[in-house]
Amino acid sequence: MSTRPLIEAFLDRRLLPAAQQWLRDASAEIATGPDHGRFASLISLASRHAKRDALDPDAGEIAAAGAALEGWNPERWTVLETLRVALVLVRPDLSDETGAAALEEAFRYADEGELCALYRSLAHLPAPERFAWRAGEGCRTNMVSVFEAVVLDTPYPARCFDDLPWRQAVIKCVFVGAPLWRLWGLDDRLSPELARMALDLADERRSAGRDVQHELWLCLGAHGGERGVESLERELQGSNTIGRRAAAYALARAGETARLERFLAEEGDAGVADSMRDALAGNTSQEAFRALDPRLQGAS
Amino acid sequence: MRFFDPHIHVTSRTTDDLEAMAAAGVRGIIEPAFWVGQPRTRVGSFIDYFSSLLGWERFRASQFGIAHFCAIGLNSKEANNESLAREVLSLLPRFALKEGVVAVGEIGYDEITDAEERAYEHQLQFAKDHDMVVMVHSPHRDKKRGIIRSLEVAKNVGVPMEKLVIDHNNEETVEDTLNAGAWAAFTIYPHTKMGSERMVEIVKKYGPERIIVDSSADWGVSDPLSVPKTAKLMLERGVDAKAVELTTWQNALDAYGQSGQIDVDALLSKPAIDQTQLFSDNSVLRGQEPRVEEAVPN
Repeated sequence: MSTRPLIEAFLDRRLLPAAQQWLRDASAEIATGPDHGRFASLISLASRHAKRDALDPDAGEIAAAGAALEGWNPERWTVLETLRVALVLVRPDLSDETGAAALEEAFRYADEGELCALYRSLAHLPAPERFAWRAGEGCRTNMVSVFEAVVLDTPYPARCFDDLPWRQAVIKCVFVGAPLWRLWGLDDRLSPELARMALDLADERRSAGRDVQHELWLCLGAHGGERGVESLERELQGSNTIGRRAAAYALARAGETARLERFLAEEGDAGVADSMRDALAGNTSQEAFRALDPRLQGAS
Repeated sequence: MRFFDPHIHVTSRTTDDLEAMAAAGVRGIIEPAFWVGQPRTRVGSFIDYFSSLLGWERFRASQFGIAHFCAIGLNSKEANNESLAREVLSLLPRFALKEGVVAVGEIGYDEITDAEERAYEHQLQFAKDHDMVVMVHSPHRDKKRGIIRSLEVAKNVGVPMEKLVIDHNNEETVEDTLNAGAWAAFTIYPHTKMGSERMVEIVKKYGPERIIVDSSADWGVSDPLSVPKTAKLMLERGVDAKAVELTTWQNALDAYGQSGQIDVDALLSKPAIDQTQLFSDNSVLRGQEPRVEEAVPN
């Protein structure tokens, strides 16, 4: 199902009349097939008509987004990004070589804000797997905003990445502090190799005397083996509260509920005990880590 | 105090500099496109350079609570490689109209050649067509003649004088620039262009109107703290606090704010640095504890 009507409806509700008129004019121009340079300029010029304000979709809009494209969550989009994605989707030739070439050129000349919008558009395109190399380039960025636009709140990586870029994207989320629980499809693509990479990283962090990132424990699932259980037990015996809460969920995700119950019986921290009970009650999907996300209000 | 440094090539500076600038109160900067110390040989080098000013450098500055704007243009030295210059000029519409680009710059004269003049005129016309501000680099050699010519050519093309900033002025050129109605910027460099002490005397003599202080700090011997240091000296030497604020903050915002690309309210609000939002593996942080909600001191 096309997401274009929904994206345009988001904009209808938010753009001022003058900006709506600009979008109509720009859309009409794009429909006539301007050269690639002009198309890229229109993507740039969108910043004159919308700002980087949060799109701030309501619950109904978020639900409609997920229904139109499974794995898409516009929760962290900006109005300007939404306008730019609308300009991409208005192209009548997105299935063709010319549409792909125009997009590639827009990527090549893009600034940081344009990159975020262009990467967010990928999952909304026909045959999105055509852009897997480009998305891989996006993952190699040092700008975390761009990296997050490529991989989070979108079905793109889970659907279009081969195993190697997929695992790299997962571990990079942990490494740079991008909220991994937002990587759609993570729970369905866990693997022994990913668990090994995560456990190696945990060892590196401990050798350096640093806390293990709590979301690293999302990477194990049922693939951590004995080494995973040992690492989680060590975390639970440590003093990093958020890591201990995450480890509780991870033990449940590994199927180690009896072990988790023994920890719960001796747990002195009310917050950690709450997480343990929550995990034992079966709340073990990656979404459970939303409650641990330090960026979200109300998270501890 | 808070400062705006409207000319600094931070791509050539370290994170120590960015940290020191933020600590000294520098809230915002403009990074004009310039020469990188040796000539580029391919248009692709310019594409990547312009992209870095709009991407990585802006991001890097933001990690220290510094708002980064830029100016896009072909510098005078490289205008002399005419076939390459033509290709670079054709890139202007690709980059100069992007978010956060506050001017066409830095452009102007180096040896005052015909090729430099053609590139300068082309870019002035582009600025006029798109109602943009222009940042003009004035030459090291034959500076006075270069500035007079820069003003004349800009006038002939029809760029309004209130949209023209002539940079690297000195005692010998300031009157020409001010009398023409343009903004007069001064680069405070150790040993060469203009020292803080001379700057104090200029502000005392001409007053603060349309006078702008900048560092132009780059890969050479230069000082990214020139603006705050000069402000300090001005205050010590009895320059009125209002005049100090105009020359190290407000005038530059008024000049480049004509682009509509500077959110002055955001600059005025307490800058908060949350590096956990931005922390990146090969990024500017390498294992340090991120600073969260640490305000840049005034």
